Amino acid sequence: MTKLRMFLAILAGRAVRLLSRLLHRGGTDMPGRVALKLCPELLRLLAADVKSLAITGTNGKTTSARMIEEAFREAGLRYFANRSGANLISGVTTEFIMNADWRGRPKKDYAIIECDEAAAKKVFGQLRPRVVIVTNLFRDQLDRYGEVTHTLANIREAMRGAPDAVLCLNADCSLTASLAGDLPNKVLWYGVDGGAAPSRPKPAISDATHCIRCKTEYEYDYITYGHLGGYRCPACGYARPKADVAVTAVTEQRADGSTVVVNLQGESCVVKINLPAMYNVYNADGALAAATAMGVPADTAIAALGRFSCGFGRMETFKLGKKGARMMLVKNPAGCNQVLEFLETISDPFELVVCLNDRHADGTDVSWIWDADFEALGRLGSRLKRVTVSGDRALDMRVRVKYAGVPDGIITVERDYEALVKTLEQAEDTVFLMPTYTAMLELRQTVIRHVGGADFWE
Amino acid sequence: MELNICHLYPDVLNLYGDGGNIITLTRRLRWRGIEAKVTRAPIGSPLSLSGADLVFIGGGQDFEQEVLLEDLHRGRDREIRAAIEDGLTFLTICGGYQMLGGYYETWDGVRCDFIGALDLYTVGSKTRMIGNYKFRCEPEAGGSLIVGFENHSGKTRLGSGVRPLGKVLAGFGNNGEDGTEGAHYKNVFGSYSHGPMLPKNPAFADLLLRTALERKYGRAELAPLDDAAELAAHDEMAGKI
Repeated sequence: MTKLRMFLAILAGRAVRLLSRLLHRGGTDMPGRVALKLCPELLRLLAADVKSLAITGTNGKTTSARMIEEAFREAGLRYFANRSGANLISGVTTEFIMNADWRGRPKKDYAIIECDEAAAKKVFGQLRPRVVIVTNLFRDQLDRYGEVTHTLANIREAMRGAPDAVLCLNADCSLTASLAGDLPNKVLWYGVDGGAAPSRPKPAISDATHCIRCKTEYEYDYITYGHLGGYRCPACGYARPKADVAVTAVTEQRADGSTVVVNLQGESCVVKINLPAMYNVYNADGALAAATAMGVPADTAIAALGRFSCGFGRMETFKLGKKGARMMLVKNPAGCNQVLEFLETISDPFELVVCLNDRHADGTDVSWIWDADFEALGRLGSRLKRVTVSGDRALDMRVRVKYAGVPDGIITVERDYEALVKTLEQAEDTVFLMPTYTAMLELRQTVIRHVGGADFWE
Repeated sequence: MELNICHLYPDVLNLYGDGGNIITLTRRLRWRGIEAKVTRAPIGSPLSLSGADLVFIGGGQDFEQEVLLEDLHRGRDREIRAAIEDGLTFLTICGGYQMLGGYYETWDGVRCDFIGALDLYTVGSKTRMIGNYKFRCEPEAGGSLIVGFENHSGKTRLGSGVRPLGKVLAGFGNNGEDGTEGAHYKNVFGSYSHGPMLPKNPAFADLLLRTALERKYGRAELAPLDDAAELAAHDEMAGKI
């Protein structure tokens, strides 16, 4: 009976996929949704013989997944991944349907699955992953996810469905690290050690000021960004655990990448990361921990980090304008601050485009733009040649950059992406594009229509 | 001229971009050549309100809100009550607004005593009131049309000792039932309007500044500013909601 239901569900899922592709829709979500209606345990059945790695957390899921993919490819593993960002149970199930035969037998050995924090509860128990990475926890789309402690509780509950998984946790995030104490899982810690990079000042807004266990204010030995760093509670002793896969030095930070030294379970390795900014140091370190936990040799995983490119709006480069463009998806204050910090390190003049949407996938509440340190733009002075605001909430963004101290004369509103891209094609300076999620999808399409999707950076 | 702005509990009450209110107040003062000094008063700070001309309290997460209750009941509640009676200007949003009331009762009946400076109380409900909303301020609170974003599960009821800040035109406001939004008492303005409230509502921002300056200097004339960008954002949202 189960076999018949599974067969029918796979059939229905594939039919829906075919139909949506004929209609030029992505068909990443609907096939799984329909199939799960017919056979609610479909994902569990399809995932049973696949070695899965799951990635969840607020920021860095997609980039980490791409890094791990590159490592798997390099290692010659047969894998699939939910690349299109369809990270709810329906999207994950679609991916398993498309990578199974008619009888539900897997076509590949491994799966790399990024999973929405709220959806993890439904997914992990069925997926039964071998390795789970939790990248970090920051306030994010509060209208959708609620408070950050709520997201933490969701992930904790999700992990009950995966008691055998090795749990790769960001040791530097006091919220994420608190998962370890309550769960039976073997934990592999990753993080950035004190002294690896200059400590940042305490941010004006932190998502974790007080001990998650006893509510006493944390003390910090160092801060890498946001609330991440060497925290410790003076009252109950809860503190950053020692990292097993530790970045011990950030030796170089460039506009197109970083070089770091990683202590990988006792061995010091130089790691080149083909993406800039501190948050990608974390993504790379977590990817390294997880890939090796899945059995990829360390040197293979390290080589992959120096070679991979992420695409899909995550530090993606385009041949747009005379000096090229880079697209940097922003979704929440923590991620946005990292992008703004990165912009502060750019020494040549540049143009900036910020596209703010407030659709469901972006979060309908745009107040977070006031939590992000756009004042960084005001500090750039003459390096910032122009700020163009766009998207459904362009006018809110214009007010934000005005109050951030950007001179009125260099702020432009342009809501038509076609016209925007045409103007940018003439840009003399490097262009940085900061869209929210749904704005990224539209803007990226328009950019690719004009200049193609090839990577390019000067 | 100079205005001292006190940001109370910025370490824990800093949700939904409410810090944007501080940015707006300081910018609008400095654009007019008026000094603005911001003092952050986190939990445990010994700061007294006597030097402050305008106090801002934002909203926070439940987790952290519990942390500050202890601090509040170590005497700061008395100090806030006295300052309010004395006419100090306050802008309080969401959790900060609820905190000025008598108490908060969770949906399952657990009661938590607040400052008791304003004649209002809040009862939790299981459904959240979320979304863009707009309301019209009462004439004595400036009469302007406010656009904002609300996100709360507490339903606030006003007693006879306070006036509503305004009438809801679209959205929920205090409780989604009686059409009131926020509270106004002496120079205290409380609202559910995150978003943050002030950047897109410059007339209301200036009302706060004028109120605080008048109390300090006896009279205050605010030079007009070019609010084209602010009003364009305001009008567009007012039309959409």
